[in-house]
Parts: sequence; structure tokens; C-alpha cells
Amino acid sequence: MSTDYTVNELMAAVIAREIADDDLVFTGVGTAGRPFTLAVGLPVVATRLAQAAHAPGASLYWGNLLSPDLDRMPDSWLQDSFTRWPCASQLTETSQKIDMLARCRFDVSFESAAQVDRYGNLNITRINHPDGSLKIRLIGCLAQPEHLAFVRKPIIVVDLSHRVFVEEVDFVTSFGHRRRGVTRERYLLPGPGPQLCVTDKAVFDFQGEGGSMRVRSLHHGVSLDEVFGLMGFRPEVADDLAETPPPTAAQVDLIRTRIDPGRSLLRA
Amino acid sequence: MKHKLTTLSDAIRRIPSGSRVAFGGNIMRRQPNAAVREIIRQGIGDLTVYAFATGLSVDMLAAAGLLRRYEGVYVGLFWHGLAPSFRRAVEAGRVEVRDFSESSIVARFQAACSGLSFMPVKAILGTDMMAQDPSVVMETTCPFTGEPYAAVRAIAAEFTIMHGYRADRFGNVQWPLARDADDVDQIIARGSRRLIVTVEEIVEHEDILRQPNLTYIPAQWVEAVALAPFGAHPLACDTVHDEDVDHIRAYAEAGSTPECARAYLDAYIHAGPSHDDYLARFGGLAALRERLSVARSDA
Repeated sequence: MSTDYTVNELMAAVIAREIADDDLVFTGVGTAGRPFTLAVGLPVVATRLAQAAHAPGASLYWGNLLSPDLDRMPDSWLQDSFTRWPCASQLTETSQKIDMLARCRFDVSFESAAQVDRYGNLNITRINHPDGSLKIRLIGCLAQPEHLAFVRKPIIVVDLSHRVFVEEVDFVTSFGHRRRGVTRERYLLPGPGPQLCVTDKAVFDFQGEGGSMRVRSLHHGVSLDEVFGLMGFRPEVADDLAETPPPTAAQVDLIRTRIDPGRSLLRA
Repeated sequence: MKHKLTTLSDAIRRIPSGSRVAFGGNIMRRQPNAAVREIIRQGIGDLTVYAFATGLSVDMLAAAGLLRRYEGVYVGLFWHGLAPSFRRAVEAGRVEVRDFSESSIVARFQAACSGLSFMPVKAILGTDMMAQDPSVVMETTCPFTGEPYAAVRAIAAEFTIMHGYRADRFGNVQWPLARDADDVDQIIARGSRRLIVTVEEIVEHEDILRQPNLTYIPAQWVEAVALAPFGAHPLACDTVHDEDVDHIRAYAEAGSTPECARAYLDAYIHAGPSHDDYLARFGGLAALRERLSVARSDA
């Protein structure tokens, strides 16, 4: 067992275990810095770890490219790099991806959010003042509602913080398991909703009462009190609460020498 | 077929203040920025803009005080953060927003394509998009199965503006063989009423005839076509030129205060009467090509 690993490498290993052979994995395009690592870097590294181990047939959707050749990853993320990246299919336009989502063809997706609540509702649209009026305009909605509605295993990837983990999100961009007593059954949404929440301190599932968040494992050296202290609500705790399995020495070596030697993916 | 080639300023002059306008493009490429700069020069305001994922084009309109309302899935500058002037205008209550997810906005454009008044979608059920405005989204049920749906209203844009790769003088617009396809320009064009397309290049009709399967916008949908090389600048026009990272960064920084944003508009848009004057700020077309052109994959 390796003890020399970073939190990012640990998170990537956790996510890799969730990717099954032949899964189609949806990767966002992310932004800069830490949000890039959370939305793009970790999912891509995890997919490659899974491919190297138990899921050789797993493939990615990335920037409207289906199954881009991950051995020929671009050096930069400027527009032209995406245009030229060899891939199995360049969809004619984005509505085809949207139809693929609605037909439940995606197995795994990754979600960042400005706010996450107890039932996995996500907000990437706006932050409100206490009276409900607009305080901060964020980016909009993108296809995140589609992910939570249609993907088989949506995984929320965020850092644990009081600001992000709130009792109730200010705006439901994407519907999780329940809101004010209303559940997914009311809307007959085809997908199961968010399945996992991977953070820098702990891993959560949604096996709590009514689809609520539950601590599944704590990363090495992290206490339950530390986790509670970083959240705006008290999650349930799994009966079999465990330590998050660390990445193996082989996984760490693979990440550092093959998958991301230049730290362009796990950059922050 | 009718000749539709005109100048950028003539094409844009057709748009009255108060219009509802759809934009093509996506976050980092082919937003109709030359057309938007011309809208700003002509002072056409009180606009409602519909788009898929957008950013700089809508942000410039907000900086100029010409945007009244935006409906779409995203406004931002990608690596370079939130759209600063748009954000400020929305937070100050000067710009209204109607938020949609990708499937719900595409359904609205698709409804326009098919001559329908609405389309049903599922993805936004249970979200706060449902209660934002009953004039554009409501819950309904399938008459056959009783399943719940979100009914989203057809986009009824009076004008549609997009930036394309190449066209003939009749307005047959072609995309390259391999391109960055992360957009819905063809759907937006298909549902348009008065479509204005700016392009990188005007080619002979004979060139179009050679590969008609590349014509994604046929002349019959188009009202006006205008030549505007680097018309998406500082964003990319995939297969023609890459994004101008330095200038996008400069734009984002200029947006930090309303005064700086206005100074940016004065320096880059109001300083000269034409798109050529804008390009001259970067040393002209040849210098831009030298710096940002990429090899044509279908050449």
C-alpha cells in the first residue's frame, strides 16, 4: 500500500472504481484552476486508471468528441486542439449529445456545483440574498439538469466546504432526490439521480433517509467532526463507515509517469 | 437564387431596437462578434437575445447597455471566468434572464424549426427553471401516457445572427469536413425568420456545388450574407483561426469595472466605423492570420 499520494490521486482512485468496463463517461469542459481539476482532470485521470485496470472498454465523451484517443491528448486546451484531436466520432452537432443523454446512453457523469444540498440538488445558476433576491449571477445551467435526469451514475465532485454544502440550495439547477417533500417519482425521471459525492475529505452516497446524503468513507486522517464542521447540514453516517481506500502504489505510479506526467490534469 | 451578399453595416441596419434576436456559436467559438460590434456602433438597443452557450457577444451588449433580456444555457468566458458586464447588469436588475438547460433550449429552437408553438422536455422537471416564467415554461402531461413534461415555448426570434465559415453570394453556407461541432447553429438557423450570416470567406458558387453535403445553411433560409473575416474574434473560428487568448484575457480584465468596460468599447468598437477598423487594432487581417491561423483540415 502506498502512503505517498496526494488527495487528488486518492479522489481519482475512488472515482476509477466507479467506472465499469464499456461505460460511456461524460466529461465536462471545466474552467481554470481547481474547478478544472474537479470537472475535467479528476474524471479523465480516473477513466484512464479504470481503463488500465478493470475497464479497458470504457470511453469518454469530451467536448462533443466521442472516444477521443487518450494516448494522444492535446498539449494545450485551446480551441484548435479539440478540433484536431483524433476521435471515433465527432457528432454533427451538440443536439446529438443531448439526445444521447435523453436516451440514457451515458453511464457516468461528473458534476461540479456552487451549492449542493442534503438531497443532491445542485446549483450552478445563482446565489441569493437571504430574502431570495439575486446576489451573484453564476454561469447558467448547461446540461447538468440532463445529467441528473438521465445518466446512470452521476458523481458529484466538489471540495467539502460550508459554503458549498448547504441545507437547501438557493436555486435548483439540477434535481437530486427530493425537494420540499417532492421526490423523483413525481416526475418519472428515467435516471436514478446523483449516486456519489466525492470530496477532498470524505466520500458520500445518497443511501440516507429519502435519498439523503450519507458519509460512506473518510479519507485517511480525517475525522467525522471535521467533516461535519465543513457542512451546512448534518449528513447521515453509514453503519459500515470506513476509511477511503487509498490509491495503490501502481496507480500513483501510473498517474505520475503515464497519465499526467506534466500535471496538466491534476493541476490544482 | 437571389444575391444576398451585402455589407455588415447594411445587414445589421435592418434590426430595429427592441428586437428579439437569436445568436449562433458556442462559448469559445463562432459567436457573431463582428455583428455584435456593428450593433453597438449603430446603437441598436433594448434587445432580447436567445442563444445556446454563449459569452463574449452577450457580454459586449451588456457592457454597451443594449441588452434587455437573455434566454439560454450559459453566459461566461470559460477559462477566463464569469462574463463580467453581463453579470453586473443582471445583478443590478438591468438585464432579465430566463434560464434553460441544453435540452430545453434546443427544444425551443427545434419547435421553431418545425412550426410548433412548444415542445415537451423532461430534464428540467423539479428544477427552479419550471417556476421562473409561465410565459415560456409550464408543466404539462402527455395526452397518451399521462407522463409529466415541461412544455417549453418555441423561440420566436425576429432576427437570427451567426458566424459561419464560407458562403457563396446566394447565401449557401458551408462548414468544413472536420470541425468543432459543439454547437447547434444549424438548428438555430433552421428555425430563423430573418437570418443574417457573417462568414470568413465568400467563395464561388461553383465551389459550393462541388460538395453540397457541406452546405449546412442553404440559401433559402438566409436573408443576408456579409463577409467578416475574423468575425468571431477574439473567439475562435475552428479550422480557420484559434482563439486569441491574450485578448480574451484583456477583455475579461477590462470588464472588472463599468468604466473600464466602457473604455474597452471606446477603444475597440467606437474608435472606427467598420470591422476593418477593429481588425486594424490588431495590426490588420494579415497580422491576425499570421498569429492565429490554423491549417485547414479540409484543404
